[in-house]
Amino acid sequence: MTATDPLSPRSAALARLRDTLAGLSARTAEGAASAPIPVFADNSLIGAGLVRGALHEVCAASPGSGVAFAAILLANCGGQVLWIATEQESNLVWPPGLVPFGLAPENLILARAARWPEALWAMEEALRCPALGAAVLMAGNGQGLDLTATRRLHLAAEAGGAFGLLLRPDGAIGASVARTRWHIAPLSADGAPRWRLTLLRQRGGAPAGPWDVSFEAATGSLRLEVGSG
Amino acid sequence: MKPARRYLALHLPFWAAEHLRQSRPDLPADQPLALWARQGARRLLVALDHHAAAAGLEPGQALADAEALLPDLLVLPAMPEASAAGLRDLAIWVQRFTPISAALPPDGLLLDITGCDHLFGGEAALLAQLIASLAEVGLSAQGAIASAAASAMALARVRRDAPIIQPGAEEKAVAPLPLGPALRLPGAMLEDLARLGLRVIGDVLRQPRAPLARRFGAPLLDALDAATGRRAPPITPIAAPPDLSVTRALPEPILTAEVIAALLDRLLAALCARLARAGLGARRLCLTAWRVDGTEQRLMIGTGAPNRDPAHLARLFAEPLASLAPELGFERFTLQAQATDPMGAEGQGALPMGAAPRPDGVLAQLLDRLGQRLRLARPAPLPSHWPERQWRAAPAHEASPAAPPGWGARAAPVLLRRRPEAVQVTAFAEGAPAALRWRGRHYALTRAEGPLRLEAEWWHGGALPPARDYHRVQLASGERLWLCHADGRWVVQGDLP
Repeated sequence: MTATDPLSPRSAALARLRDTLAGLSARTAEGAASAPIPVFADNSLIGAGLVRGALHEVCAASPGSGVAFAAILLANCGGQVLWIATEQESNLVWPPGLVPFGLAPENLILARAARWPEALWAMEEALRCPALGAAVLMAGNGQGLDLTATRRLHLAAEAGGAFGLLLRPDGAIGASVARTRWHIAPLSADGAPRWRLTLLRQRGGAPAGPWDVSFEAATGSLRLEVGSG
Repeated sequence: MKPARRYLALHLPFWAAEHLRQSRPDLPADQPLALWARQGARRLLVALDHHAAAAGLEPGQALADAEALLPDLLVLPAMPEASAAGLRDLAIWVQRFTPISAALPPDGLLLDITGCDHLFGGEAALLAQLIASLAEVGLSAQGAIASAAASAMALARVRRDAPIIQPGAEEKAVAPLPLGPALRLPGAMLEDLARLGLRVIGDVLRQPRAPLARRFGAPLLDALDAATGRRAPPITPIAAPPDLSVTRALPEPILTAEVIAALLDRLLAALCARLARAGLGARRLCLTAWRVDGTEQRLMIGTGAPNRDPAHLARLFAEPLASLAPELGFERFTLQAQATDPMGAEGQGALPMGAAPRPDGVLAQLLDRLGQRLRLARPAPLPSHWPERQWRAAPAHEASPAAPPGWGARAAPVLLRRRPEAVQVTAFAEGAPAALRWRGRHYALTRAEGPLRLEAEWWHGGALPPARDYHRVQLASGERLWLCHADGRWVVQGDLP
């Protein structure tokens, strides 16, 4: 008798448990209205892409690169996008600069919160709302985003099915339950911007990268440079 | 045969002046008053009160002449909008006599009194009562009743004896009326008619119609037919604005949050029912709570799209309700819709033709909730090359217009500094910056693109900001900045992707 015998009661119980677990963790994946959001033009690198109904994190070495990467992801997710920032943020998101990355101004709603707790509250409310495609929260340095806060946001995204994105500066990394955590840093470029992208962490998977990438307008996603990865 | 309709016309000969007097009780009551308006370079009298009229002044007279004739004349500039609005209010006030009334600016009121006169003891009694109640508030009026609206109006303008014309007798009654005051014809037409010897309505009625129409056009015949009752042009009745406030007085003061919330639900249900009847949706609601000690507390909520869903409005009130301080309890609540917009029956906001559709209900409700605590905006693209003018913040509930072609195609920053950050350029290579001192550190630039010169848009007027030179520079780390050089100063204005 081997453990691989499909008819053994023990493996049947295991299979049942596996089904249950898969059902629990994939609740969001199948609840999401549409396909995952592609990151790369060639999807073989990290599976199908980023799942909706979950929280993802982007840590950016330079503010511009983070916003550009966020815009690419949001443009691919379709629907209306809520972009939340606090009044203390010294930078304003500049809609004309997002158009080249595919994010049109008619899909963008900008929200400014007077204080950080209100920004968190708005993010949670927005993720809970099935009418939104995605919500982004710009977290500055030193703004409290602990395990509890990220778990709340993740649960809200699971409930509403929206794509949640946290945009954080480099080095402000605490514990988080985000589904994936990306790091993006600008690379020296002569024309179109280039970035070095790293998948620092993903739930249920191994870290990956770094990849040297640039934006490909034709597919609206990132193209891997030859000889990288 | 259907019984004829009956119309009561009121002519308020001194309306503009008397209306102004009502709002200015400081004016001496026995001094003549005249209102003037500019016509070209001249200032002419446009309205008088009865003192001024009795002294022989006339509308159309030059202001300087009038002041010379009557040294103690009070003169004030005319306010036609306020006067027209006052007339509309008066038309609503006379609806205590009949449900259908209309304002005929500048100085007429028309009441459809069909079937109402017996409540006041007959037509003559109704007319007398109406004129008397206007006189009580200082308004002179003369009236007439007839079966055609324009006949009644023409009679009211000319005759001071409050005539009541039986159905069918209109033509005979208006025949002796002078053309000018009765029909309000243009001055040039009156002069032409007078040259032909036609001075009263009867004179014109005796003329053959075809030559009259050729000579004076349709307006004269239309006015004549309306005044004689041959044709009845429609009147536009005025509707009183719906009462959009509900009040509950309580026998016992209430203080617990649950009871207040339950009461608010009932107020909202009553108000939303009224809004539905009026075809409106609330944009701003105010809840006023009176405490037993006589103080009042107000809570306001706003919605981005017209709404009359009690559950949604209650959710918006949930948070402000917590800020009420009942102390010994509240004894009275008033909920008032302070701003409303038209809203169709099916819950979709009624839109003017060509307006962009609003986001669907769920999103609108989310934006309402967020809008209570955050500032929401949608970027509306503007056709401009000047960075600060490329978009404006439009209300989040309105779908923003599509971007003009080419908008955003220019290599723009993705983040713009709220306040430009001063930076020192320490070295140049071929006219472009080569090194920076920024945030207290020294950076060598690996690449610089530019300059891109932007000139201010002179067509906006005002003081022109200096022209700006934009440079796209890249630090050794790869970070790309948007530098602006204007007026000899270098600033970091934004971040490039």
